[in-house]
Amino acid sequence: MSAPTLTPADAAPDAESARPQSSSLLRKLAATPEAGVVLACVVAFIVFSIAAPTYHNTDNLQVMGRDLAEFGILAIGESFVILTGGIDLSVGGLAGLAGVLAGWFNATHGMPAPLAIVLTLAICAGVGYWHGTMVNRLNVPPFVITLVTFTICKGLALSITSGTPITGLSNVFGDLSLYYIGSVPIPAVIFLVVAVVAWFALERTYAGRQIYAVGGNPEAARLAGIPVRKRITTTYMVSSTLAGLVGILIIGRLGVADPSVSASGYELTAIAAAVVGGVSLFGGEGRIVGIAAGAILLEFISNGLLAMNVNEYYQTVAQGVVLGVAILADRIRAKYFGASRK
Amino acid sequence: MTVEPTLQQSASALGRAVIARLRGVHKSYGPVRVLDLPELDLYAGQVVGVVGENGAGKSTLMGTLAGSVHRDGGEIEIDGHPLAPGSTAESGRLGVALVSQEFPLVGQLSVAENLLLGRRPADSKRKVVVDGAAQRRAAEAMLSAIGLSPDSIPVRQQVRTLPVPTRQLIEIAKGWGRDPKLLILDEPTSSLGPVEAKLVLDLARRAADEGRCVLFIGHRLDEVREVADRIVVLRNGRLVADLEPAEASEDRLIREMVGNEVAHSKPKVAPADAPVLLEIEGLTADGLGPVDLTVRKGEILGIAGLMGSGRSRLIHTVAGAQPATGGAMRLSGERYAPKSAGEGTDAGIAMIPEDRKLQSLVLFAPIRDNVTISVLRRISRRGVLGPRRVRAEANEIAGNVKVRMQSVDQPIGSLSGGNQQRAIFGRAFAAEPRLLLLDEPTRGVDIGAKAEIYELIDRAADSGMAVVAASSELEELLWICHRIAVMHRGRVAAVLDRADATKEIIMTAAATGAGPRQGTQTALEPNGNPT
Repeated sequence: MSAPTLTPADAAPDAESARPQSSSLLRKLAATPEAGVVLACVVAFIVFSIAAPTYHNTDNLQVMGRDLAEFGILAIGESFVILTGGIDLSVGGLAGLAGVLAGWFNATHGMPAPLAIVLTLAICAGVGYWHGTMVNRLNVPPFVITLVTFTICKGLALSITSGTPITGLSNVFGDLSLYYIGSVPIPAVIFLVVAVVAWFALERTYAGRQIYAVGGNPEAARLAGIPVRKRITTTYMVSSTLAGLVGILIIGRLGVADPSVSASGYELTAIAAAVVGGVSLFGGEGRIVGIAAGAILLEFISNGLLAMNVNEYYQTVAQGVVLGVAILADRIRAKYFGASRK
Repeated sequence: MTVEPTLQQSASALGRAVIARLRGVHKSYGPVRVLDLPELDLYAGQVVGVVGENGAGKSTLMGTLAGSVHRDGGEIEIDGHPLAPGSTAESGRLGVALVSQEFPLVGQLSVAENLLLGRRPADSKRKVVVDGAAQRRAAEAMLSAIGLSPDSIPVRQQVRTLPVPTRQLIEIAKGWGRDPKLLILDEPTSSLGPVEAKLVLDLARRAADEGRCVLFIGHRLDEVREVADRIVVLRNGRLVADLEPAEASEDRLIREMVGNEVAHSKPKVAPADAPVLLEIEGLTADGLGPVDLTVRKGEILGIAGLMGSGRSRLIHTVAGAQPATGGAMRLSGERYAPKSAGEGTDAGIAMIPEDRKLQSLVLFAPIRDNVTISVLRRISRRGVLGPRRVRAEANEIAGNVKVRMQSVDQPIGSLSGGNQQRAIFGRAFAAEPRLLLLDEPTRGVDIGAKAEIYELIDRAADSGMAVVAASSELEELLWICHRIAVMHRGRVAAVLDRADATKEIIMTAAATGAGPRQGTQTALEPNGNPT
């Protein structure tokens, strides 16, 4: 740029960015991605409670708590990865494999349950480290490398078990999934703990804030001296380890280590919960409150449809529609309330 | 004309400590050497203005110092410590801070978080958990340090909700907050109003008075001359002049920047008797208009204006790439109301957009696929493409505009900027358009290649196409155009014949919206401005 160059001396600020900042509460709420999904949770709960009387009794709430824990925890782990702008398609497959591994170590090889659990979680963390390394060092697209892992996990789970569920698990697994604290199922408590820890890590620690920076503007993060690669690897390890935890909860609920879990599409539900909860697939955006609410909403709806005896095939359709509506609502919100996501 | 820079370039530098010492620093992209500095010293207590045309190597120089560009060779010392190439962390540690729009902020984080990105507030004892209060205190201190009242920028707010000038100030506060020895400001005032711009200039002055060195890359010569203690001029990656402010008149600077290029030989005369090809009446679109303009066959109409004045919008609206909201257009007398860029193409319009890499090319794809994309229908046989036919056609298209290449099978990204641009012209010509729309036709093209692009534009006009060219480079418009329309805030402030147009008149119209004292017998009277 030089003298014969016309550049803005006092050009008006970019119209795009100088949006009016209204202070009205409604606008503020509408501009908060989490508000909509929390509201949707409340509405869904009320509607289903009216439509199906059994919906809000303790038994059903406990069932929901247990289910919620499973893909809620997956969604939180998944969100860590998505916040950096990546994606982890392996979580469902890995959860299935983790269950099989834990069962295999315990029932087939006679390893004490706690040791089997720790070993399984360590293996899962290793898988996350592998993902992070491939993404960072070799620039492999996250989509591809985690899809590879997903496929391998699915195959391994089937090969280890020869396709038949492993039985004879230690009671520890069942206890973990089926007992209650007060009247709250242990998995729901675990979900709550994971959510609180994740919230604290993301909102209140330097590492957590740096994860947002890495997803929001990798170049700015790099130039600010943030260890970008380390942060990315950490998120994959969180995601994989939580997937392992979920796998262990699942075999506790089922009482057997069933290899077919790895192919039941948990990863898509987890991604859906995150997206419904306001996580941007471009990275850098989304909060634990929203993610948890997203998971709760999906659970409310799928369980509600069940309570209303909706044909199971239509339930899947309904879930798809919910996801579509959520994304549509988010885009509209972003368009009208300025928080644009590219 | 070339001044060999020496150690004693600057009399005022005597006795000052050297902050940055550059020896033999060079950088090439492909075959093009974009930076080649045998010797350059930057002294403490000085604001060094850096000027040069687009592509002169200013950004590369900055990037090399800041570590974001990995230099190919040469030594850099910052305050006596050698600087390893290509490490921003290292540069930062040695006391180099770069404020540049290329590395913007993290929009999703708050102002405070951005200001302290990657580090902890000094008075925070917690190592893992963020001390929000300390962070905000530190952020407010950083803002006050550059003279902003903390009330004017709420540090808790998300950065992306703030207007661009505010973000720019935040970036400056961020760079300043690192207490740099060498502060590099890359067009720091480009998005600022006069008040904020003054603040930044004062800041640069203050930094120098405190014994730092400021490298001030300016886009406005008057600003650079006002603030700098020393002005270096870059051209084609070389340092061609190193001047005291007193010797750095605007004329001198421009001469040094442009070098001994010959100006266009003859002012062109608009073909007044050629039939009108494009008529625009009261055209409006988002951020544009109403605009009235006419372009004749064989005529080159330039569009000048400041950034944001609607230059690109006008081009895009005519091309159909941006929807018009009102008004009418006619092509050779026929109504033309495109709903998409495809309809524009079908009507015989070719557009060469501003950003080659993003808007024109598939960089990793071979030249042949890139240049034949506009003629696929013509060269296919019932929708089926033959590889031999495609290659032959590609060779013809590329040869037609003299793309220098080994073969049409190499990726187009492997060509130099100028060659890529020629290939794009070839592609546009191949579609045999009636109207050629250009947006920044020579951006990122080195000076030698520019002349060749100008020839192509002339050729297009000579062959009877009407050409509309928007450019931020006035000199360029004055070379290539028959007439120049100057835009101001979405409207046409003035339309000037080449013979009447001078830089000053265009600048005045662009900056204020005031047309020249009329009296020129502009063949047409399109003046969208009601004044």
